[in-house]
Amino acid sequence: MAQLSFPSFSNRLLLGSAAVVAAAGGWVLFTYPPATTPFYPQCAFRMLTGLDCPGCGTTRALHHLLHGRIEEAFFLNPLLFVILLVALCAAPSVMRGERPGFLSKPWFGWGSFAMVAGWWVVRNL
Amino acid sequence: MNCPHCGTSNFDNASICANCGRALHAAPPPPPPTNTYMPPPPSSPGAGYGSAAGYGAPVPGARVPNYLIFAVFVTFCCCMPLGIVAIIFGAQVNSKLAVGDYAGATEASRKAKLFCWIAVALGLGGFIIAMVINGAALIPLILESAATR
Repeated sequence: MAQLSFPSFSNRLLLGSAAVVAAAGGWVLFTYPPATTPFYPQCAFRMLTGLDCPGCGTTRALHHLLHGRIEEAFFLNPLLFVILLVALCAAPSVMRGERPGFLSKPWFGWGSFAMVAGWWVVRNL
Repeated sequence: MNCPHCGTSNFDNASICANCGRALHAAPPPPPPTNTYMPPPPSSPGAGYGSAAGYGAPVPGARVPNYLIFAVFVTFCCCMPLGIVAIIFGAQVNSKLAVGDYAGATEASRKAKLFCWIAVALGLGGFIIAMVINGAALIPLILESAATR
């Protein structure tokens, strides 16, 4: 059965701080579009090589996502949606306080590698 | 305590009998006073982790962390090729555990962790350098807009 234990004080403090940071970051991301605002951190790999890294476009994708524009977000970084899907699959086990079993499966490890490395190559072709 | 061989009373922390010289704990020890006492499990995870004795013979059944989530996160956010290396080692942990190679899995786990943290350090360094270059490029623009105001 689902059994959620009440988090300890330090964990509540950590969760609270994370929520505040996430809310502040979300507001900044919602208000200022990353494509035209210069203050967002830039990807070092992209600056050095001119190529996209597997995570490039995530900031812009999250901006679109916060505005509900799923299609634009998807084409900026589809891998973000794959990761969100995996997180969704893991959620039931995590809610029960267990470690999702698929994380320890060989196919998951090599699948992660294939997805990230493959996307890195494909997006730069 | 009393010697199990000759019955002589000895100090509680003595290991041999003061009267007959035989080991005080050779005989089966008396049962523990309460049932709540649990001997440490032989396969407790982390027992001997990193130590020379535990390293060569990891305990089967102990969970070996694969750092896969950390590695993917690092690759996604730090944009560093080393994150991919960490993902490869993390995948090796799962493969080696699946065939029962605990020593290999522990070694791969150690490398996955190492490359994750190297990638974090390089990624943060890269971000800081990029921010400085970015900031330096912005200064003339800011000065210009301040002058025309």
